Amino acid sequence: MTDLIGRPPYGPRDDETLLSELNELTRHHRKYCAPFARIWPDWSGSSRIEDLPYLHVGLFKRGAFTTEFPGVRRGRTLRSSGSGGPVSRIALDEESSTLQSRSAAAILEDLLGSHRRPLFILDRAQGLRERSGLSARLAAAMSLRPLASEIHFLLPNTDSDDEVDWHRIEAALDADSGADVIVYGLTSILWDAWASRSIPEPLRSRLSETRVAFVHSGGWKRLEARRVDSNSLERELLATSGRGSRVLDFYGLVEQVGLVYPLCAEGFRHVPVWADVIVRSALTLDPLESEPGLLQLLNVLARGTPSHSVLTEDLGRLVPGSCPCGRSGKRFDLLGRVPKAEVRGCSNV
Amino acid sequence: MYEAVFTAGGRSTLVLLPFDLDRAIADWAAMRRGMVGTRPEAFSRAEWAYLISFLDPEGLERVFTDTFGGRQAGESRLAMQEVARPGGPVAVWLPNNVSLLGSLTLILLTLTGNPVRIKSGSRGDDLTCLFLDYASQNLSEGELKEILSQQVDAQVFSRTDTRNAEWAALARTRLVFGSDAAVEAIHALPHPMDSVGFSFGHRQSEAWLEPDACDDRTLESLLRVFDVYGQNACTSPGRVVLLEGTAHQAFEIRDRLLSLWETFFKRDPEMAVASASILDHQWAASLGWNSRLARRHGAAFAVGQADLPDPRGQRLLPLLSLSIPEAIASLPECIQTIGHAVSPERRRMLPAQVAIRGVKRFVPLAEMHRFGPIWDGQSFWRGTFDRMEIS
Repeated sequence: MTDLIGRPPYGPRDDETLLSELNELTRHHRKYCAPFARIWPDWSGSSRIEDLPYLHVGLFKRGAFTTEFPGVRRGRTLRSSGSGGPVSRIALDEESSTLQSRSAAAILEDLLGSHRRPLFILDRAQGLRERSGLSARLAAAMSLRPLASEIHFLLPNTDSDDEVDWHRIEAALDADSGADVIVYGLTSILWDAWASRSIPEPLRSRLSETRVAFVHSGGWKRLEARRVDSNSLERELLATSGRGSRVLDFYGLVEQVGLVYPLCAEGFRHVPVWADVIVRSALTLDPLESEPGLLQLLNVLARGTPSHSVLTEDLGRLVPGSCPCGRSGKRFDLLGRVPKAEVRGCSNV
Repeated sequence: MYEAVFTAGGRSTLVLLPFDLDRAIADWAAMRRGMVGTRPEAFSRAEWAYLISFLDPEGLERVFTDTFGGRQAGESRLAMQEVARPGGPVAVWLPNNVSLLGSLTLILLTLTGNPVRIKSGSRGDDLTCLFLDYASQNLSEGELKEILSQQVDAQVFSRTDTRNAEWAALARTRLVFGSDAAVEAIHALPHPMDSVGFSFGHRQSEAWLEPDACDDRTLESLLRVFDVYGQNACTSPGRVVLLEGTAHQAFEIRDRLLSLWETFFKRDPEMAVASASILDHQWAASLGWNSRLARRHGAAFAVGQADLPDPRGQRLLPLLSLSIPEAIASLPECIQTIGHAVSPERRRMLPAQVAIRGVKRFVPLAEMHRFGPIWDGQSFWRGTFDRMEIS
């Protein structure tokens, strides 16, 4: 399994152990995932993390990349939230899911504290009952489960993403003696359903006395088009919540389940000790020290699918030096998606 | 009414147009001079260069002569067998993210004398409206400029917009480019009983080369045809078939393509293109193809066998050696164009063999993307005319 997952996420890095575990994991995937082995036929081991094999993240939209090792117990399939195009499919397995849950919990506890409190999710519960799979946005919400004393889904079982069940929040706050809650939503839904809404009384007054941790993920693309930035979102959210409230933006991929990269107070994303981040030039694939390039994300958690090392289509930049927030190890800036080239032709898109 | 007589095979056609044909062709041609050096940003260099070459007066005149025959001097109407006149409103539906298809269709249709409506997709740059604006501003004063302002209407709307039905109800000719489902949906809209519909749905194309014909010039043509759209056009070479070649020759030609790429494509690709090439390269390898990335990841080239899954991707060019019967048997159902580089003997022999598989165009490699008044085997341009038989 892994020796690293039990350590503090942002404690001293042990990249020797990480390299050793990633080498072992890569051998495991080469052995039990034939397409992966065909992509890296000559690999037998790496002496540096940057030399380890990786898969382009788009492969998970094209085919079923699964690692069928003896005794694997499959769970549901995670689906990315594609906007009309093909979606990524990641087949979960029991062994990896355990590690991934521990990973997400440790990272989020580091930022939000480990005490349990009501978790309000700006999504609908029916998605949890779908047998075919689990959407990425629900998976992201459920990564907060270890911090929850109870879970409430706030959207109605319709297609509407901006009708919040305000009464449900009120009832839950009345029933809970504490004054500390988490609200999770996709960034755009958090804006549409909460920040840009008028919260009815008496809930409004109640919330102004409640410490709320707003947690969101999913990126800014939709809101950028509407000229909503992180400052506007934060301002609106904090205007309706009590002292000590905060807004936490985290980055994650369905292909890197269990790994979330929240922004620290200084505005950086830190890499836990059981993961690594490399920035590569798209034109040469050479690792870049501090210039912007494609983010490659690695972790030691994924055993049932070779998503332990993925080259993403996200742009990032490693930030040298230590972070004033106190977390050690690597940190990076997320700079957005690779600008899409206009794909022209007469193909039927 | 302007009149011009064309004769083919002893049959003469009097073409009636509401403008002076020679003047209109000359006006288009005159605009070319200004186009050099004034490329609107939305057009790539290759797209703009192709537009300039498309407006060549001889090429535009050839649209008429290929359709109706050689042009007759004078106004003799002796032994006329046919009169062709503009049939009525033409409506054109384009897919999203389309390249020059709209602009080229627009140019051809302005020469028919019909009112024209062109609908572009609501996603992606709309080059048709941009070209129409450019032409409206840069054509010299005259009938053609008036036609563009009064007879041509280019709009951008979605597939659910009510204008789809309005346009279908009024058009005498419907030209629909897009997915098979989109084409079907437009033709299913209520339309005049005597209207005509042309369907340009999903198509794929291939490049067929004989190893002996693969000199550097041929391979350069192949690379240039591939580089324009990658695999995104219906005329893009989805695979390269080495006719009667060996596996060794496929590897050798793949490696020469990699080397020539370095020679001809010095400019760095956009990051998204490089990322797409890496993805395609890994996808092909995962399926068992022997893939290599080109310099700076502008493309990927892969060698494989016929029994491997199709590795199609945006920036991947797959190569395989096949016998001629294997190549014919493995053509896709929706085959449109075969771009060839073969010996004169095979050039004579192959068309009859591939025609029975539904191939619509068998053209030299360099002409794979060339658009014209016959497309997917349909004389759509001729179909916009109303014709009267004379005996």
